[in-house]
Amino acid sequence: MEENVVIKVENIFKKYSLGQPVAGDLRSTFSNIFNRKKQQQDEDNEFWALKNISFEVQKGEVLGIIGGNGAGKSTLLKILSRITIPTKGSIEIRGRVSSLLEVGTGFHPELTGRENIFLNGSLLGMKKKEIVTKFDEIVDFSGVEKFIDTPVKHYSSGMYVRLAFAVAAHLEPEILIVDEVLAVGDIAFRKKCLGKMSEVASGGRTIIFVSHNLNSIVKLCKHGLFLENGSVKFAGKIQETVSTYLETILLPANTDISLKNRKDRSGSGLLKFTAIRLMDNNKNEIHTIASGEELLIFLDYELQDSILADLIVRIEFKDVNGNYAFICNSRVCKGLFLQIPKRGTVTCMIPKLPLNVGEYHLDVIGKVNGQEVDILLNVVNLSVETGFFFRTGKLPATYKGVLVEHYWDLNNSKF
Amino acid sequence: MRQKTIITSHNNSFWEKSKEILRYRELLWMLAWRDFRIKYAQSFLGFAWAFINPIVTLIILSFIFGTVAKVDTGDIPHILYTLAGLCGWTFFASLAGDAGRSILSAQDMVKKIYFPRLILPLSKVFTSLIDFGIVLICLAILMLIYWYPVTMNLIWLPFFIFLAILAGVASGIWISALTIRFRDFQHVMPLILRVGMYATPVAFPASAVPEKYQLLFFLNPLAGVVEGMRWSLLGIGEFPPYILLSTGVLLLLFISGWIYFNRVELVIADII
Repeated sequence: MEENVVIKVENIFKKYSLGQPVAGDLRSTFSNIFNRKKQQQDEDNEFWALKNISFEVQKGEVLGIIGGNGAGKSTLLKILSRITIPTKGSIEIRGRVSSLLEVGTGFHPELTGRENIFLNGSLLGMKKKEIVTKFDEIVDFSGVEKFIDTPVKHYSSGMYVRLAFAVAAHLEPEILIVDEVLAVGDIAFRKKCLGKMSEVASGGRTIIFVSHNLNSIVKLCKHGLFLENGSVKFAGKIQETVSTYLETILLPANTDISLKNRKDRSGSGLLKFTAIRLMDNNKNEIHTIASGEELLIFLDYELQDSILADLIVRIEFKDVNGNYAFICNSRVCKGLFLQIPKRGTVTCMIPKLPLNVGEYHLDVIGKVNGQEVDILLNVVNLSVETGFFFRTGKLPATYKGVLVEHYWDLNNSKF
Repeated sequence: MRQKTIITSHNNSFWEKSKEILRYRELLWMLAWRDFRIKYAQSFLGFAWAFINPIVTLIILSFIFGTVAKVDTGDIPHILYTLAGLCGWTFFASLAGDAGRSILSAQDMVKKIYFPRLILPLSKVFTSLIDFGIVLICLAILMLIYWYPVTMNLIWLPFFIFLAILAGVASGIWISALTIRFRDFQHVMPLILRVGMYATPVAFPASAVPEKYQLLFFLNPLAGVVEGMRWSLLGIGEFPPYILLSTGVLLLLFISGWIYFNRVELVIADII
């Protein structure tokens, strides 16, 4: 193994058996022995969660693992943290590993906050001495000083999670494996956690991070690994990995042809938008969305002839009066799309839709080399329902416009 | 020194595994301490419960065997005789029961964090030692009441404590591993313990068993442990004749349990 490689994953496979309860009872075991047919069935029920995964992680690297549901991310993390074993293949790890697949593991409701810090800390691999030295820091970070000698069963769920994360955040392993734990607590605390994570990352620690939240992945990681159906689909710089991921989650089925035959379009016609689909984060096509949810926009296009370069796409959100709500412009957000093929789909992801309740519609504009190639007004309607843009679930009642994420505090500013 | 870990589809050797458990000894202590806190420090009567259980068992046993069945225990009061027998048995039963349930009741931990799983059953030794100590205190009080003398046999007590730990841990790891594979075994342990108490000379002397069944009787390793512990505590009878057999059976049970556990350990998180 080279000097700087701290994790070397070689040809990892993981098989699960489906359907049949493996932690079975004696009866099914006996019936298996006498029933050959069942064994055949078992082979059909095999499921390979990971297929031939290989990669290396350098010392100090922050690697983000992304992929859809069932892509094998969690299985990979479980194997890396030694909770389960690979069916085939091997992994070599150099350095002390701590894995956080969930915060608060081993917390006992009857024990006090103080006792749980020690218990949880040692479960996560901290030495007692380490916990003693960091104890004050942990309590401080969690913000539950007052209740530190109260059994955690009396804690609110927020306090519980904060204490749990505080312990985890003060681990100092050489390699840290994290799964989605940032999705805990209120927004202020989440911000604090993210800050702590980047602090850890910049401290030269090696981190492997799995999340559905592409934003935090991009913020934290330098490199990415994109898993699909148990295989590595792409590995490289985080930006490229995320774009590849976004490109692949679009659906190739061009069922919606409503834009193709529209005559009321302007522009040179070098490129034509052929279909638009709005989807939620589960890839279900939608026309209604809750405020603050993730919105995916898929725009299919066709070129008049060969390959084009330097495409810019603009999507304008307008309210019922035709006033701009906001604009998504690919040039300012991402840069030009270079080298675009004859047929394809442009994808735009809005992680947290900042619109108040109401009816909106979208206009789309395509530009190539500064020249407008296709302009279509009113391509699709979108109605926004009340949702959790703010964590209170409330929205301004009279004001109709764009919402902005912001925070408040009184007297002791946390910012 | 950089720690180096290799993850493959098979478990580490017996030797590596033992070294790893040694590395995790702080966690072992921590879990033991947690069990202690939860078991005794939380309930209203706290420690009182730890005394109530053995005393109730003692009263029942000595009523049935002493008063009703009139088992002959020589010139020793039957209640004292039974309590000395209960020392070894309670110790074993509490350890085997807790250790047998240990993996299943720590599911959340097992699914989320890696540590050598054997630590879970092993950590139960400490709370059982406390249970054992409580019965010993009861015995000491009773011996004072009857003004019963301690003999030199007492120096053998640590050896029999060791055997009881071996017995409890061995059955505990067997049952906990089997319970993961086959849930049925969570019902088996209470059964074994209930039947076992009557198949073990707790409230009657082993000599009450007919000669031709003696060897069979002592195949139950607990017979040797309980008899031996009573011998060392009260100084009655003779050094248990089949103690080598008991020790051998226990060692075999322990080693095979350890090996089986290591095999099951690999798939615990997948099938629990």
